Amino acid sequence: MPLVQWCYDLGVSQTLRDSTYLFAVTQALHVLAVTVFVGAIAVCDLRLLGWGPVGQSRASIARGAQRVLIWAGLAVLATGIPQFITNALTYYQSPLFVFKMYLLAAALLFTATLRWRVAVADEGRWPSWVPRAVGAVSLVLWVGVTISGRLITYYG
Amino acid sequence: MSSIVATFEWLEGLAWTTALRESPYGYPLLETSHVAFIVVFAGLVITMDLRLAGLAFNQAPLAQIQQRLLPWQIGTFVPSALTGILLFCVDPLRYYRNVLFLAKLTFLLLAGLNALAFHIKTSRKPAEGWDQDSSVIAMARLAGVASLVLWSLTIIAGRLIPNNWF
Repeated sequence: MPLVQWCYDLGVSQTLRDSTYLFAVTQALHVLAVTVFVGAIAVCDLRLLGWGPVGQSRASIARGAQRVLIWAGLAVLATGIPQFITNALTYYQSPLFVFKMYLLAAALLFTATLRWRVAVADEGRWPSWVPRAVGAVSLVLWVGVTISGRLITYYG
Repeated sequence: MSSIVATFEWLEGLAWTTALRESPYGYPLLETSHVAFIVVFAGLVITMDLRLAGLAFNQAPLAQIQQRLLPWQIGTFVPSALTGILLFCVDPLRYYRNVLFLAKLTFLLLAGLNALAFHIKTSRKPAEGWDQDSSVIAMARLAGVASLVLWSLTIIAGRLIPNNWF
C-alpha cells in the first residue's frame, strides 16, 4: 500500500519514532482530547436518555455540546493522525485498529445524522423511546471506539 | 519504608494478583475498563468545568450542569477508582516509586480538594440564585479552571505512567 508507506516515510513520522518523549506525549494528549470529546457526547446522550441536565431542552444541550465536539474532535485528529503515520505499517495490518476505524466511521455518521436530527427536533416530535434509543446507541458506539482504541496496545 | 515494601511484596505474591498479572487478558481488560470509566467520568467532569468556567453550555444555569451531572460523575468515579486500586494491587512494586504515578495521585488529590472546596463554599447558597450571584460566578470560574487544569494533568500523567521515564 503506497499511501501507508508514504505516511511511514514522512519526516514527522521519523521524528516521532526517534524521540523518547514526543510519541508518548502525543498519546497522552490524545487520551485527554478523547476524554473531552466523550464528555460532550455523554452529557448529550444522558439528556437524550432523559437523565442529566433535564432542566434544559435536548436541543439546547446538543447545541452547547456541538462547539466542544468540534474543538475536541480537531484535537483528537491532531493527536491521532501523528500516531497513525508513525506506525502506519503496523496499524494498517492491525485488526483492532481497522475495527476501531469502522466503528469510528459508524459513530461519526450516526452522530452527524440521526442523533443530531433527534436531538434538535422539537420536544414531542418523536415518541419518547426514540431519543432514549438514540442516546443509548450513541453512548455504546463512542465508548466502543474508546475501548477498541485502548485494546490496540495489547492485542494489535 | 521497608514495611511498606514488605506489604507490597506480600500483595504482589498473592494468588489472585499473580493470576491477574500473568493472564493474557486479566491486566489488559482491567486496564481498558479503567480507561473507559475514566474517560466517561473525567469527560463529564470536564463538561461541568467548561460550564463553571463560562466556556461552554452558558445557556444552561450553573447549577443545572453542576448538580445534575454529579450523580453520574460519582457513579463513574467509583468503578474508575476500584479498577485503579486493583491495577495497583496487581503490580504494586512497579508503581509505588514511579514518579508519574505519584504525580497522578497528587493531581487527583488536588482535583478532589478543589471540588470539595467549591461544594463547601456554595452549599449554603440556594442553587436558583447562583447565576445572579457574582461571588458564586467568580468562585465557579476559579474552581472550573483549576479543575480543568488538574484533571488534564491527572489524565496526562496517568497515560505516561507505563513509560517509566524517571
